Amino acid sequence: MPSPLLSLVLFAIASAMVVAALWPRRGLIARVQRARRQSERVQVEDALKHLSTQELEGQVASLSTLAGTLEVSRNEVARVLGRLEELDLARTTDQGVTLTNSGREYGMRILRTHRLWESYLADRTGVRPTEWHEEAERVEHLLSSEDAERLATRLGHPLYDPHGDPIPMRSGDMPPLSGVSLSSLEVGAIAVVRHVEDEPEAVFGRIAAQGIVPGLELEVVDSVGGTMRVRAGGRVAELDSLAIRNVTVELREAHEVGRQASCTLADIPVGSSATVVRLAPACQGVQRRRLMDLGVVPDTAIEVERASMTGDPLAFRIRGALIALRKEQAAVIEVVPMEVA
Amino acid sequence: MAGIMPGGCAGCTQHRTESLVRLGLNPDKWDHLIALAGNPNTGKSTVFNALTGLRQHTGNWPGKTVTRAEGMFLHDDARMKVVDLPGTYSLQAGSTDEEVARDFILFGRPDVTVVVIDATRLERNLNLAIQILEITDRVVVCLNLMDEARRHGIAIDTAQLSRELGVPVIPTVARERHGMDELLNAIHQVASGATETSPFRIEEYPEDVEAAIQSLLPAIEEAYVGIPNQRWVALRLLNADEAVEQAISGGELGLLTGDDALAEAAANVSQEVRDRILEQASSLRWGLSRDFQDHLTEGIFRAAEIIAERSQARGVRRAKFDLDRTLDGLLTSRLFGFPLMVLILATVFWLTISGANVPSAMLATLLIDTLHPILQGFGSDIGMPWWLNGFIFDGVYLATAWVVSVMLPPMAIFFPLFTLLEDFGYLPRVAFNLDGLFKKAGAHGKQALTMCMGFGCNAAGVVATRVIESPRERLIAIITNNFSLCNGRWPTQILLATIFIGAIVPARWAGLVAAGTVVGVALLGIAFMFVASWFLSRTMLRGEASTFSLELPPYRPPRVLQTLYTSLIDRTLIVLWRAVIFAAPAGAVIWLISNITVGGASLAEHSVLFMDPFGLFVGMNGVILLAYIVAIPANEIVIPTILMLTVVTAGMAGVGAGSGVMFELDSATAIGDILVAGGWTLLTAVNVMLFSLLHNPCSTTIYTIYRETRSAKWTTVASLMPLAMGFVVTFLVTQVTRLLG
Repeated sequence: MPSPLLSLVLFAIASAMVVAALWPRRGLIARVQRARRQSERVQVEDALKHLSTQELEGQVASLSTLAGTLEVSRNEVARVLGRLEELDLARTTDQGVTLTNSGREYGMRILRTHRLWESYLADRTGVRPTEWHEEAERVEHLLSSEDAERLATRLGHPLYDPHGDPIPMRSGDMPPLSGVSLSSLEVGAIAVVRHVEDEPEAVFGRIAAQGIVPGLELEVVDSVGGTMRVRAGGRVAELDSLAIRNVTVELREAHEVGRQASCTLADIPVGSSATVVRLAPACQGVQRRRLMDLGVVPDTAIEVERASMTGDPLAFRIRGALIALRKEQAAVIEVVPMEVA
Repeated sequence: MAGIMPGGCAGCTQHRTESLVRLGLNPDKWDHLIALAGNPNTGKSTVFNALTGLRQHTGNWPGKTVTRAEGMFLHDDARMKVVDLPGTYSLQAGSTDEEVARDFILFGRPDVTVVVIDATRLERNLNLAIQILEITDRVVVCLNLMDEARRHGIAIDTAQLSRELGVPVIPTVARERHGMDELLNAIHQVASGATETSPFRIEEYPEDVEAAIQSLLPAIEEAYVGIPNQRWVALRLLNADEAVEQAISGGELGLLTGDDALAEAAANVSQEVRDRILEQASSLRWGLSRDFQDHLTEGIFRAAEIIAERSQARGVRRAKFDLDRTLDGLLTSRLFGFPLMVLILATVFWLTISGANVPSAMLATLLIDTLHPILQGFGSDIGMPWWLNGFIFDGVYLATAWVVSVMLPPMAIFFPLFTLLEDFGYLPRVAFNLDGLFKKAGAHGKQALTMCMGFGCNAAGVVATRVIESPRERLIAIITNNFSLCNGRWPTQILLATIFIGAIVPARWAGLVAAGTVVGVALLGIAFMFVASWFLSRTMLRGEASTFSLELPPYRPPRVLQTLYTSLIDRTLIVLWRAVIFAAPAGAVIWLISNITVGGASLAEHSVLFMDPFGLFVGMNGVILLAYIVAIPANEIVIPTILMLTVVTAGMAGVGAGSGVMFELDSATAIGDILVAGGWTLLTAVNVMLFSLLHNPCSTTIYTIYRETRSAKWTTVASLMPLAMGFVVTFLVTQVTRLLG
C-alpha cells in the first residue's frame, strides 16, 4: 500500500494534468485539434473567404491583408497564394490579389456556410454570441454544400445572419445591405440597427452585452468625447468610440417610428399591469417563439401576479394563464405600464 | 369506369399507409382516424382516456404526452382510432413535440382533428385552434374543463363560439365524462361528412404578405387543383416552412386532402412545376419585411382575442381565481413557502419509509424465507440436478424476489402520494419556488421534482424529466438524477449507518445518529447534484438550447381513487417490471460466478483477489467492488451479495446459505460481525455509504436514460461521471484519513 501522502500528491498532479488537457479552448487537446485543423485546404478556404469579403466591400486584398487575416507569416501566405494560382482560384496582379470566377464561387460558398452556421447557432442553440464567429470559422470547413443547403432549409432560408450580414444565396446573389455608421448620427436621431461587426470579439462582446442587435430601434441621447449614449427598448446603453464604429444603422424619419416602450416587464412591480410594446430583437430563436406562443405579442396586457419565494422567477397573468418567467426573460419584454384603474 | 384508373386509389391508400408508418403509427384497420391536439395541461389525456377507456397517465402538469398514445374504440359500429398528440402551444415547428403534432395533422390525414381547449384560458388556447383550422376543415373543438371555468366565474357561449370558429364546439368535463357522448356524435358526424364545417380563417394578412400570397397563389392553384387550403400552402412557403417545402418537392402535398384522387393527382405534378413554385416563393420572400413572421403570430392572437370576447356570455364578471390566489399566496410566500414545502415533502418521504417497512418485511418472509426453500425442495423432488436447481432458484428467483420485496412497497406508496400532489397542482409551485436556486446551477426549477421522483426511483425520475421542455436543462436533470438516493439504496445506507455509525455513540443516541447520517448522505447527494449541474451547464452542455417557461395551472381537487389506480399501473408496475427483467439475469450471474471454479477457486474468488488491491486503495475491498459490478442491474441486492461473497471468500463456517445464495440476517449486529470478520472498519463503511451514493446508475436507469436521450454519448456521461466521482471521493476520504492517522 503506497503512503497516503505520496498517493495524494500523485493524485493532485494527475488531476492537474487532466484539467490542463481538457480545459476548453486553451487546453492541450483543444490546441492540438486547432493545429490539426490548419490544413492546407483550410488555409485555402480562409484565403478565398477573405478575398471574397474584400471584393464585396470594394477593397483589394494584398499579401499583407491576407497575412493579417490568416494569422501566418508572409512566406506562408506566398505559399498559399501559389496554391491558389495553381488551382486557378485567384491571380496576383499589379493591383493586388483578385479572384477568378471559380474562386469567387468557392469563396461565396464558404461565406454562405459560415453565415448560415452563425444563424443556426443563434436560432437553435444556447451558444453565446461571442462564440458564434469562432464556432462558424471551424464548421465552415466541415460542411459540404449539400449540408449547407439542408441547414438553410431547416432554418427557413434566412437572408441575414445574426450580425446583420447578408447571407449569399446559392446562386451567388446577395441580399442588400445599406446604412451608415452609428458614429455619424446626431443627437436626437432615430435609427434601426442593421449590422454589428463581429470582430474583434471583445468589441462585439461589449456591444452585444448592451443588447444592441440588428433590428433594434434606438435614439441617440447624447454623444460626449466619442462615447455615445443611446436609448433603446426601454433602457439606456452606453457605447465607446470603437463600438459605435462597428455598428451600422439605417436612419428613421419621425413618422416611421412606432410607439416606444418606457421600460421592460422586469421593472413592473408585483400587483401592477403593463401593456406589451414588443419583444426585444435581442430575444431570438426558441426563446422568442416560446414567448410569442404564450401570447406575449404587442398590445397584450400582462399582470405581474406574484414573485416566487426567492424573488425570481415571477408569475405573470398572460391571457388568462398564470405563467412563470425568469427576470432576464421579463427584461426582453418591452412594455408601457398601465394606469391604475 | 374502375378500369380507367386501376391503381389510382390503391396507390393512394398505399401512399397514405407509408406516410402513417413513417409517422410511427400502426397501420391497423379503422374507419375513422382521429387526432387529439391541444395546449399542454388542457386535460387532453383525460379526454383521450374518456374516449378510449385506456388509462393513460394524466396529471396536472404541462407537457405530459411526449410520446404519442394511440387507442381504438367503437362508436355506432364505426372503428375509431384516436391518436393523442403531444400538447403544444402552437404548430410553428420549434420543438420536437411541435413537429410531431404538426406533421401528424398535416400528413397523417386524420379524418377529424379534435382540438381540446381549456375553457379557463380560451384566448391563449384559440391560438392553436386557429392554426389548426388553417390546415384542415375537419375539426371538432372540445371545450374542456367547463367545471373549472364555472368555478372561476367564466361563462362561454358555446353556440356563439361554434359560429365564430365554423366548427362544432362541444362543452365537456372530461374528468366526469360529461359531454363525451355529444363529443363522439360530433366526431362521427364530421368524419362521415354529415356535418359541414366552414372553418374560421384569417382573411387579412399584412399588406406585403397578402401581395406575396396573391403572386404565388396562381401557380399553386394551377398545379394543385382542388387542394382545399391553397392560401395556407402559399403562406407556409413564404414562411420557408421545411415540412411544406419538402412535401412539394417530394410530391406528398396531396396528403393534405382527404381525397385520394386529388392526392394522386398532386403526386403527379411534374418536378419542373414544383421547383418553379419553390423558386418563386423564395424570391418573393425577399420583398417581405424582416419581422413578418412575428406579425402573423400577432394577427392570430388578435383574431383569438376578438373571438374570445364575442363568445363570453354576458352579465358574468371577469375570472377571478380567488381561491387560487389565496392558496398561492400561502404556498409560494417568502415566509411560509419553504417550511410548507419541507413539511409536505418530508411527510411524503416519512409515509413512504415507515409505511413500507411492514409490507417489505412481509414480502421478504413470504418470497425469501418461505417460498424459496419450498421451491428448492420442489426442484430436488422433481429430480433437478443441483446446478439447475441452484441456478434457477438460488440465482434467478432469489434476486428477483429480493428486488420485488425491497422495491415494491415503497414505490407503491411513494408514487401515488407524489401523483396526488401532482394532480392537485402543487408540484409546479415547488418548481416555481425553487427555480431561483436551480437557476444558479444552470438548471430548471422542475428539476426539483424530477430529483424528488429520483428518491423513489432514478429510472422514474429520468422519465419524469419529460416535463422539462428546454433541451439543456432536461439533459442536466437526466444526467444528475442519479445523485438522488433511490429507494434501492436507502436500505444499504440505513443498515450501515446503524451498524457502524450508530455504534460509535452511546446506545440511546444510536438510532438518532444513524438516521441523521442517512439524511446527511441524501443531502450530500443533493449538494453533488447542484455541483454537477453547475459544472455540466458551464462545460459540456453550454451550447444546448435553453428556454424557460413554467405554467402554473389552477389547483384542482385531486381524484384519489383514479390516481391510485393509474399511478400504480403507470409508474410502479412499469418500473418494477423493468427492474425484474434486469434483476433476474443478475441473479444468474451471481450464482454462476460463485459456482464455476477454475483452478480450485470460483470465478468470484479470482475476481475478488484481482480487485482487492484497488479496492483497498480507495478504502473498500474486492468483495464490495465485485458486488457493485454484479449488482449493476439492481442496487437492492448489493448487501445480500456482499454478505454472501464475504462469507464464501473468507471461508467462514456456520453462516450463509452456500455459494451463490444471497442472504441477509435479521439482526444488524450479526451482519456487522460478518462484515468485521471480512475486514471492514468504520472507514470501509463510510466509503461504502459514499460509494453507494456515487456510482453508476443501475442498468434500468441507464437503459431509461438511453431511451430518453437517444444518445450514446450522454448515456455514457451519465453512467461514468458519478462512478468517477465515487472513486475520487472514496480515495480522498481514505488517503486523508490515513494521513491523519
